[in-house]
Amino acid sequence: MTGADHPAPGRVLLRCEHLTVRRGKREVIADVSAELRAGEIVALLGPNGAGKSTLLDALAGALAPAEGRIERHGRVGIALQSPDLARRTVFANVTLALAWWGVPRPERTERAREALRAIGADHLARRRAATLSGGERRRVHLARAIAVRPDVLLLDEPFAGLDAEVRSNLLEDALSALRSSTRATLVVVHDRAEAWALADRLLILLDGRLAASGSPRDLLERPPTVAVARFLGFDGSLDDGHELLLTRPAHVALDPAGAFEARVTRASPLEDGARLELELDQGRVYAVAPLPAPRTGDAVRIRIDGGARFPLRETSAQFETPTYPPATPG
Amino acid sequence: MKLIWDEIQRAVPLILHGNPTLFSVIGFTLQVALVATAAATVIGLPIGLAIGLGRFRGRQVLRVLANVSLAIPPVLVGTFLFVLFSPRAPLGSLHLIYTRRVVFVAQAILALPFVVALTAAAVQGLPPGLLAQARLLGAGRLQVWALALREARIGVMAAVIAALGVSLSEVAAVVILGGNIYDYNQTLASATLYEVNGGYYADAVAIAIVLIALILILMCGLALLQHQGNGIRLRFRSAA
Amino acid sequence: MGYVWDQLRGAIPLIAHGDPYIMGLLWVTLRVAVVSTAAALVVGLPIGVALGLGRFRGRRTLQLLANASLALPSVVVGIGVLLFLLPQGAFGSLRIEFTLHAVYIAQAVLALPYIVALTPAAIQGLPPGLIDQARAFGAGRVQLGMFALREARIGVVAAVIAAAGATIAEVGAVIIVGGNFQGSDETLASALLEQFNYTGHDPYATAIALVLLAVILVLIGTLTVIQQRTGAVQFRFRTA
Repeated sequence: MTGADHPAPGRVLLRCEHLTVRRGKREVIADVSAELRAGEIVALLGPNGAGKSTLLDALAGALAPAEGRIERHGRVGIALQSPDLARRTVFANVTLALAWWGVPRPERTERAREALRAIGADHLARRRAATLSGGERRRVHLARAIAVRPDVLLLDEPFAGLDAEVRSNLLEDALSALRSSTRATLVVVHDRAEAWALADRLLILLDGRLAASGSPRDLLERPPTVAVARFLGFDGSLDDGHELLLTRPAHVALDPAGAFEARVTRASPLEDGARLELELDQGRVYAVAPLPAPRTGDAVRIRIDGGARFPLRETSAQFETPTYPPATPG
Repeated sequence: MKLIWDEIQRAVPLILHGNPTLFSVIGFTLQVALVATAAATVIGLPIGLAIGLGRFRGRQVLRVLANVSLAIPPVLVGTFLFVLFSPRAPLGSLHLIYTRRVVFVAQAILALPFVVALTAAAVQGLPPGLLAQARLLGAGRLQVWALALREARIGVMAAVIAALGVSLSEVAAVVILGGNIYDYNQTLASATLYEVNGGYYADAVAIAIVLIALILILMCGLALLQHQGNGIRLRFRSAA
Repeated sequence: MGYVWDQLRGAIPLIAHGDPYIMGLLWVTLRVAVVSTAAALVVGLPIGVALGLGRFRGRRTLQLLANASLALPSVVVGIGVLLFLLPQGAFGSLRIEFTLHAVYIAQAVLALPYIVALTPAAIQGLPPGLIDQARAFGAGRVQLGMFALREARIGVVAAVIAAAGATIAEVGAVIIVGGNFQGSDETLASALLEQFNYTGHDPYATAIALVLLAVILVLIGTLTVIQQRTGAVQFRFRTA
């Protein structure tokens, strides 16, 4: 559904170079360079406080950059994190947004209907905004952003606060509604699963700096730095004196003929197995084992396939910003 | 209790027989209340919106000023205006003291802080994300103000009703500036004062009853407003 | 402007040398403020807390009534109290009509709505789970009341200050029940109003106005300081 299935991204619609943004005295974003092309959906990932919302605000023009520059080709629309709606009907809220955007009155009705249909919210059109549930509210919030048809669409955590089922429904509908060959979309997500579902490309923001940029698959196979790897869920690490090997549970399997000896120090039950914490001489890794799973204290043998290797001297550097212009993946 | 009942008994015929002076006082009071509130709204609403929504230097100062002006006793406002409009004073040439016009002016000035401060408060109580979202989707200043006014309409209407209430009830400024002249520029409230000072308790009670009736009508309007506001919430609870 | 300046020049020495009449007015005003606000608190605080915490039928209506009582005109309160206190009235035997005690009562009645209407508002501004959690831990009614009062103390203090402000500023009731005899039961505000019955623009009027203004500003200043203090505390939390 993402990445390789769609035509290559088109022209650059938004570009920022060496962008630095401050809030008060604090530098929230430092030296960020990135570009958004027509047709792509990019996800912006990062832990709390990394500066994602600030970056979006700056790209939208709501915050002035302290350094660097932003180049925009077309209009930028942003849907803020809080889905505040006017106290009117859903339909009125969407047409109101179109009025703000400057769409002539005769066109508003049709555009509003189209956007509500695209996001699967047309059954809500006559409802008053105050009566909507959390998921419905987010749907309408998205509908407004889609209806105005910006050249660049910025979405700030559009799925925040939704429970798992509501979120996955909305994700599905959002994916088809957001895909457009003439628009670039940047979505701030908090959760890796959302990024994987939506995005052709990931931007990872750590501590205000751009730590990684690439397709989800590439970043997972070859994370550029230790910090990025850890953020992407590489929770295990083995140190053999020459290099550091970081692993994800997917890389670790229980195998009586495996090359490594380990002891189970913790076993947490999961729905279909157990998450094991395994101690080795060289470090600690995590694995997910099917039932029946070993118990705490057991000695096991494991096999490790894959993982990310980093020469030891490099690990002192927390991260590095990707080169600009971005290197082609592969 | 006996005295109260006696006075009420004497007062009701006074009202029912439509004492002409009483009617003219009622008429004048209503005129003043409506005109003063209208003027205060026309002037005060934009100011309140600017304070609530604007992002200019000195906005905080204005907001504090608005709240402080709400606390200034009408007696002081009346004194200050009297000095201002006094024959020998800067605005004395307007010849406003002891006229009917000055009552309108005084009540409008008294009502103004209510409109400004309460509108600003109503608008500031709106979810900040909504107005920010409108701005970011291209809404111009007028569109944002219109949105805020519509969203905060209940609070704004409460501000207007508060202004009306003040115009009806306040005596100090009216008496100081207008002189409380019988059959000329008395409002219901100031006429009550006049009658009590003269010992005509029955007349005073009559006038007070009419005043209470007007205030009650106003309060019903406010209650209806609040119900409208709650009505939406009630529907939410049954829809969820 | 020279006229205004003359007035000020006449007034300042009166204040600076502690003219006994003005100091007497100030003393009466302060006593009324303290006694009437205290009385209003004693009666109104329990009601306000019950309204804020209670979950009984008709609570909404009572709350509406409390808010509406804020609009009670001072002249109406004055007449109401006077009718009770006149010799033929219910409490006429107390013989306190036209005395300072009558003023205490009238101003307390005027201050009461501020306590009864604003305290529940302050309590209901608390985080919703807070009171429920205390109930769940078994807190009794009185304990809940004390807890809510303590947590909402900023809003309650604001209500008290608003009530005190009303006792200081309102003239309608004071003049009616007090009779405004010089020296015994005039407050700063009511004396100021009476000044305008004399045609001479006494320096006394200006002096009284200035003292009254000072008292009100002190009141407002206190409220501002309290609000800033708590605002500062909140700010510190945000940066920590």
